[in-house]
Amino acid sequence: MTVKALYEYDYPSADRAELYGDDQLVYVYWRGNLLFSSAGCFRVPRAVTFADFQEQFVDGWAASDPDFDAGAVGGWQLFDEPITPDPHKTLEQLGVGHKALLSFSA
Amino acid sequence: MATQKSKTRTRKLPLKQRYSLLTRDLDWEPSYVERDELFPYTSYEGIKIHDWNGWEDPFRLTVDAYYKYQAEKDKRLYAVLDGFAQGQGHLSLSDASYLNALKIFIQGVTPLEYAAHRHFAFLARYLEGPAPRFASLCQSVDELRHCQTQIHTISNYNKYYGGFHSWTTQKDRVWYLSVPKSFFDDAMTAGPFEFLIAISFSFEYLLTNLLFVPFMSGASFNGDLPTMSFGFSAQSDESRHMTLGLEAIKFLLEQDEGNVPIIQEWIDKWFWRAYRVAALVAAMMDYMLPREVTSWKEAFELYFEDQMLGGLFPDLEFYGITPPKHVDLAISEKEHLSHQAYKILHNFSFAAAFTTQTPTAEKMEWLSSAYPESFDEYYRPTWEKHARIEADGGRSFVEGLPQLCQVCQIPMAFTEPDDPTRLSLRHSEYQGETFHTCSDGCQWIFEREPEKYIQAWLPVHQIYQGNCGGPSVPEVLEWYGLQEGDNGEYKGSPDARAWAEWHGEPATAQAKES
Repeated sequence: MTVKALYEYDYPSADRAELYGDDQLVYVYWRGNLLFSSAGCFRVPRAVTFADFQEQFVDGWAASDPDFDAGAVGGWQLFDEPITPDPHKTLEQLGVGHKALLSFSA
Repeated sequence: MATQKSKTRTRKLPLKQRYSLLTRDLDWEPSYVERDELFPYTSYEGIKIHDWNGWEDPFRLTVDAYYKYQAEKDKRLYAVLDGFAQGQGHLSLSDASYLNALKIFIQGVTPLEYAAHRHFAFLARYLEGPAPRFASLCQSVDELRHCQTQIHTISNYNKYYGGFHSWTTQKDRVWYLSVPKSFFDDAMTAGPFEFLIAISFSFEYLLTNLLFVPFMSGASFNGDLPTMSFGFSAQSDESRHMTLGLEAIKFLLEQDEGNVPIIQEWIDKWFWRAYRVAALVAAMMDYMLPREVTSWKEAFELYFEDQMLGGLFPDLEFYGITPPKHVDLAISEKEHLSHQAYKILHNFSFAAAFTTQTPTAEKMEWLSSAYPESFDEYYRPTWEKHARIEADGGRSFVEGLPQLCQVCQIPMAFTEPDDPTRLSLRHSEYQGETFHTCSDGCQWIFEREPEKYIQAWLPVHQIYQGNCGGPSVPEVLEWYGLQEGDNGEYKGSPDARAWAEWHGEPATAQAKES
C-alpha cells in the first residue's frame, strides 16, 4: 500500500545515512535492566573499534545505573542474533550498520 | 417598519427552519467552474459520496444562538479565573507538583486545539455538503475558543511556577512534545475524510474521555478550580464534536459499501495512533497527581472497554465495521502502560519543561493497590532502587538520548505482551534503510505508508544531525527554551522550595516528606 496523494509522493528519509557523514546512528539496549526505560541512541564513527565504542559511548550511558560494572558486560546481540564482537574490529567490519540495534546483558 | 416586521417574523421561525435557511439554503451549484475545481480534495482518497444532503445535521445551531451560548460560558469562566487569581487560589492546590500535569497539558494539548481550529476551518471550506461545512465551521471556532481559554486559564500559574513560559516554542522543538505534534501533523497531512476519522472519530469519540476527563477530574481533586472550569466550559462543545464524529462515520459508511474497508483501515490506524498519545496521559494520571482520581487501568476499562468496545462497536457491526486492529494489544498493556511511560519521563526530565520524582512510599502503596497484577512484581523494585540512590544523595537520570519509535515518536519503552521485562522492539527495512517501531501497532502503521513515516522529524536524530542548537545537552536545553528550574527533579526544585516557603515549611522537611 502506498500513500494516496494528488501528486507524486516521493520524499527522502529524514535520517538517511548520508546525513551523518562518516558517522552513523547505533542503538544500544541493556537487556533486563528496568532502570532504563529504553535503548540509548548514539552517533558514532563507522570506523570506531568495538572496544572504543564500548568505552567511549556505552559505558558512560550504562553508568546512569550506579551498579553498572563494565567488566560484567557480555551476551552481545546484533538485533536478535548473538554475536561475539572482536574488540579490535570496527563497527563497519562487524556488520553493525546505520541504525543497527545492539544489546547486552550485565 | 419593514425591519420591524421581518424581526417579528424571524422570531417566529422554528429553530429547524432558521438553521436550514442559514446553512443549507446558502449553498449553490457552481456555474463558472467545475465542481472538481471547487472541491479538489474529496475524491482522491477513494471515498464515494453519492448524496451530500444525506448528512444528518448532528446539532442544529445557528450562529447567533452559538455566540450567545458561548459568551455566557466565557463569562462564567473568566469570573472564576478572576476570583482564583485575587484569592491567591494557587496556594490551595494539593501540592506544587500537581502543576507538572498542567504543564504537559498546555505544552502538549493546547497546541492541538489550535491545530484543530486550523484544519476544521479548512474542512469548512472544502467539504462538499453545506451541513458538514457548517458543522466544521462551528467546530473550528470552538477549537480556537478552547485554545484561548486554556491559555488564559493556565497562564495565571506562569507568575509563580516554572515550565509555563515558552510552550509555543517548545511544541515544535522538545522531544516529548513531538508525540502529540506528529500525531496531529499526520492527520492534517491526510485527506479530509481520513482527518475526520482520525480526529473527529478516533480521537474525539473513541478516546476523548480518556484524554480529557483525567485532566479535568485531576484538576478538581487537586484544587485547580480554573482548569476544572474550562473543562466544564469545553464539555458541551466536546459532546457536539463527538456527535459530529459519530455522524461523520455513519454518513461515510452509509454512502457506499466501498467506503467500508477504507474506513476500517483508518479506524485501525488512528485508534492506535491516538492510544499511543494517551500513554502521556496514563503517566500523568497514575504518577503526577498528588491526589489520585482513578487509575489509567480503571479509566481504560470504563471509558474504552465498556463504553466503546461494549457499546459503540456492536452498533457499528451493522455497517461491517469491527473493533480496531491491535485493540487486544492495548488491553494487554493496561497493567503496564503508565509505569513504562512515567519511567521515560523520570529518566529524561532533565530535558523536559516539567519535573518528575520517584513515587513516595504512599504513592507506591496506591499504585500497588491499583495494579495488583504488575506493580509490586515489575515496577516497585526499580523505584525502590531510585529511592536508595536518592537517599545517598544521588538522582539517576539516563545520560544520553533514547531510541524513538518512527511512528509514535515515543522512546521505545513498551514491552512484549507476554513478557513485561522484554522491550517490544520491531524494525522494518525500506529502501535499504532500517526503521524502528515500538509495537506491532506502530509497525503496521509504518509498513502501510512507509513513504510518509520515513520523513518523521525524530527529535533525537535531529539533535545528532546538529539541528537543535548544538551538540551538547546545555545547548539543546537552551534551544528548547528551558530555564533553570523548569526541568529535572521536583524535590528541591524552585517550585518545591517556593511552595514550602509559602506554606511556612522549611524546604528540607518538605524534601524529606517527599
